[in-house]
Amino acid sequence: MKLPLSWLTSMVDLDLSTDELTELMSLRGLEVEEVTTPGLGTSGVRTARVLHHEPHPDADKLRFVKVTGEGGEGEIELVCGASNFEVGDIVAHATVGGHVPGVTGPDGTRGLTMAAREIRGVVSNGMIASARELELGEDHDGILVLPPDTPLGVELTELLPVGEPVVEIAVQADRGDHLGVLGVARDLAAILDTGWRAPIVPDVVAAPTLPVTLDTDGCASFHTWVIEDVEVVDSPPWVRQRLAQCGIRSIDVVVDVTNLVMLELGQPLHAFDLDQLHGPSLTVRAARAGERLTTLDDTERTLVEGDLVIEDADRLVSLAGVMGGADTEVTRATRRVLIEAAVWDPAAIRATSRRLGLVSEASKRYERAVDPQGAARAAARAAGLIAQLAGGRLIGTDAVVRDPAPAWAVRPPVELDAARTAAFLALKLDADAQAALLRRAGCEVEVAGDTLAVQPPSWRRDLARPADLAEEIARLHGYEHVPTTLPRLDVTGGLTPAQRAEREARSIAVAAGFHEAVTRPFVGDEALVGLVPTAGRVRLANPLAQDASAMRPSLVEGLIQAVRRNHGQGRPGVGLVELGRLFRPVDDPLATVLDAVVDGDWRWRSPAGDDLPIQPRVLALAAGGVQLGHGWLDARRRWDVHDLLATIDEVVRRLAPHEQGAALERVAVTREGFHPYRTVSLRRDGHEIGLVGQLHPTVCEARDLPQATVVAELLLEPLLAATPDTGHPPVPAEPLVKHPAMTIDVALAADDGVPHTALEAAARAGAGDLLDALWTFDVYRGAQLGEGQRSVAMRLRLQDPDRQLTDADAEVVIDAVAAEAERIGAVLRR
Amino acid sequence: MSDIDRITQDALEAIAAAGTLDELDEVRVRVTGKRSELAGIQASMRDLDPEGRKALGQQLNAFRGTFQAAFDARHEALAAAALDAQLESERLDLTAPPRRLPPGRPHLLTQVEQEMLDVFVGMGYRVAEGPEAESGTYNFDLLNIEADHPARQEMDTIYVDGFDDVVLRTHTSPVQARVMTTQAPPIAVVCPGRTYRADAADATHSPVFSQVEGLVVAEGITMADLRGTLLEFSRRMFGADREIRLRPSFFPFTEPSAEVDVSFEGAGGNHGWLEILGSGMVDPNVLAFCGIDPDRYTGFAFGIGIERVAMLRHQVRDIRDLFDADARFLARF
Repeated sequence: MKLPLSWLTSMVDLDLSTDELTELMSLRGLEVEEVTTPGLGTSGVRTARVLHHEPHPDADKLRFVKVTGEGGEGEIELVCGASNFEVGDIVAHATVGGHVPGVTGPDGTRGLTMAAREIRGVVSNGMIASARELELGEDHDGILVLPPDTPLGVELTELLPVGEPVVEIAVQADRGDHLGVLGVARDLAAILDTGWRAPIVPDVVAAPTLPVTLDTDGCASFHTWVIEDVEVVDSPPWVRQRLAQCGIRSIDVVVDVTNLVMLELGQPLHAFDLDQLHGPSLTVRAARAGERLTTLDDTERTLVEGDLVIEDADRLVSLAGVMGGADTEVTRATRRVLIEAAVWDPAAIRATSRRLGLVSEASKRYERAVDPQGAARAAARAAGLIAQLAGGRLIGTDAVVRDPAPAWAVRPPVELDAARTAAFLALKLDADAQAALLRRAGCEVEVAGDTLAVQPPSWRRDLARPADLAEEIARLHGYEHVPTTLPRLDVTGGLTPAQRAEREARSIAVAAGFHEAVTRPFVGDEALVGLVPTAGRVRLANPLAQDASAMRPSLVEGLIQAVRRNHGQGRPGVGLVELGRLFRPVDDPLATVLDAVVDGDWRWRSPAGDDLPIQPRVLALAAGGVQLGHGWLDARRRWDVHDLLATIDEVVRRLAPHEQGAALERVAVTREGFHPYRTVSLRRDGHEIGLVGQLHPTVCEARDLPQATVVAELLLEPLLAATPDTGHPPVPAEPLVKHPAMTIDVALAADDGVPHTALEAAARAGAGDLLDALWTFDVYRGAQLGEGQRSVAMRLRLQDPDRQLTDADAEVVIDAVAAEAERIGAVLRR
Repeated sequence: MSDIDRITQDALEAIAAAGTLDELDEVRVRVTGKRSELAGIQASMRDLDPEGRKALGQQLNAFRGTFQAAFDARHEALAAAALDAQLESERLDLTAPPRRLPPGRPHLLTQVEQEMLDVFVGMGYRVAEGPEAESGTYNFDLLNIEADHPARQEMDTIYVDGFDDVVLRTHTSPVQARVMTTQAPPIAVVCPGRTYRADAADATHSPVFSQVEGLVVAEGITMADLRGTLLEFSRRMFGADREIRLRPSFFPFTEPSAEVDVSFEGAGGNHGWLEILGSGMVDPNVLAFCGIDPDRYTGFAFGIGIERVAMLRHQVRDIRDLFDADARFLARF
């Protein structure tokens, strides 16, 4: 809402500078967005009468003009491009040396200082200005023609508040009263503890207008005025300036007046051409489904039940509270005007406006509620102005009021406990002090001990409950008076073990060299999926873009796009980790996995018990290129699939401290988009909860990724869900064996079909209790072995708490490993 | 001069002339080895009479002492020189830039979020989380945001297709609703997480962003508790000398509501206020909707944009930098 300063001060006395005013407004709930000064810089523009004009001798589109000079005397010669004026008209003459703000200067700067300038052989002493050049409106078709009674030789800035500050505020959703200058003036009066005054309106003319039937609770009251002998002309400059200051286009004097009064009082109005209304009579009623109406914007609207309409004797003439009908609008030919100001149900107007996607200045005000007592004043104000500006005669007034008033139009009294309110706000305000503040806001208040009986003013629909009144008291008193204390709470804080575990997972990945990324979780149709692949997507009903039409089914896609951007930007390599949620439909295959591996209920639900999309927490890694940049010490170390596997492995070990690393089974798999021989599924109880792999070279090629881009994804949900609220039981220490350890190497040969985990398990079983540690140190393929076979060499460190081991012990272990190997189809290489 | 004397003199000269440990060892072999002249003299002892044998024995012992002392001294000197030479050959230029440790960095948003959470955890809060694709009931209805209310329209909600009433949560307040519907007061929680609005991305808007929201519900909670808590938070995050100011505002879920500005002192005496968060006293409707008696309990709530705080503190000019995962940005903080 834009508020010209002089309009505000016509209704409330403000003894403040503009800066002080905007500061005060901001601190008292009128959030100032911007202060503009249209027309600022106007100088040396004075009123002048056109004495003579004729075509320019040397240019078809220009005219040679003579106007009166200083003090309305003398003659000044000008050249003018417009032709919308006659001899005798009064115009705005920008004199030589004067300044016009709405013209772009030759160097592109705002404003132009006038000089005597020769135009095709004729000297022009300044110019005749248009409304737009003076920033009084958008009208640029012709020059500004002033009313005939305008004094001559007077500076324009003395006639109009040109260049005054216009304060724009952001109107809060519950403060419909701030959508009119009067409402803001009233609020400023409350804030400053001073009075306010509404514009003077004509007395009611006690004569009927036309029969109105009010047939719905969607309308609380319907006020009409009839004005005859109206001449629908252009509005005078002061009206056009006001509308321009508020960002509204000037149409004609009748429409302009309805808009002006709406801005002034916050009450929307509609003007009908009375001669176009059949009957004439009006019925206000709820629409029937399927009814049609062509609105002022020449669009045919199909109505539904619940819309509110105005009908004349034969047809619909207005979509109530939103937009008038095209058939009955005021035109230049209109002579008899019916002004209507009604009070409509906010919920109904809101629903209609939303459904049709039709937001008008009227609907904006109605849906935030207008003052039920303000419509009569607004109708009278508009009628008075039309009579004054368009030569009309006031013929009649009528008001139809719904009785009893619909519930939404009633402002019920509120009882306030002053002691409780003072304690809640922590303000030392007794009942009388609170009553005084509420009275400033227009409330009627009766004080009885600590109880306040409060009747809020008709224009404050937001004051309906004790909490609302408490806010009003605090606001008018000033939030700055609220002291500062810390709450005394009988609670203990802290992160849960699961929350600490999530932080730990991040720390492990970061320590392993991955930078944490936060990517936008939207994907298009072509997203690469990591663990538990699916075609299922959680789609968005109103996506921002085609390539962001669904939520990510995997974190992999976002990370490889990030790798590509870094690669394209010329970085030698990058490793990224992201922790976040992935999104799958309710019945996605991932549900089966989560059911199997998560202790307890992992689904999120609505209060009604409906399943929300699957959205477990995951950790994902992606890396490609050189690991340590171009450093001179390690120039060639490249990210590979082992870096990711190692990181995932350590995350699992730390988050599940009581399970051995072998808790996740590693199973070679082939996946769309992945290297067929460098991809492994990580399984718990046979269910995939992780995937680590190298992207297929053709994928890297096609997506501009560095070759050997590697990715990993791990479901954190089962690990976090398995973390008890009291944390995992402590890991017990093991006594350190004092006797020296013995180290032996064994090599097991087997088909590729025998997984590494089985070979390792065989070695562990063979070593039994003597095993202290085990490392795989070589994997060999070659001529000595058959096709599709490999030999895995493992180093075992053996120890016994009670004695020093001998070669005989080693022999026993080696024989035992050989036996275990045989059971899984492997052979100990001697 | 006896043979021994000559051998001694030759040996000492040879030891002194040996330039390397290998040459020194050759001298030892030549002088004392089995085929040396000395070995011959030793062998001749058996031909001498006891007197002569004794005299020669003394001479040989003297020789061995002299030789060994000279040999050891020379050996030590040569060994030290050899070690010096080896060390010199191992010279590293440690004035060259060191290897960079490989660790990555937590994201700036993570760092700021954890710092905020830690402030509140220190004040006794717990951390609560919830889903990002959220039921409209939690996101709106329980928070007193009516279906057709302008406040709901202003939220630019992204809706999930195929569900009756599921949205990408527009704030983390639905987590507060989840807490209030499942826990009895006293409640003190902070709710971090990603949130969504249908805003096209530009330098100051992002369709995905992050919040830390806080909620306290207990008996006797006042607006002073809200103001004091936010002052404490602001000073811990921005500096001990900061002040805050509360400006009246409107949120459907709080009444009274306030936008909160924190003071700043910039370069050249430039000072003023920066808006950092929205807050207020929990609306009694919200308490009642969530099953908490509003006549007995009061509370306050606040919502802080993590991006906004991160951008203010670190002079990030474009919010998109936070979501583009450019390694130059990630490695900076």
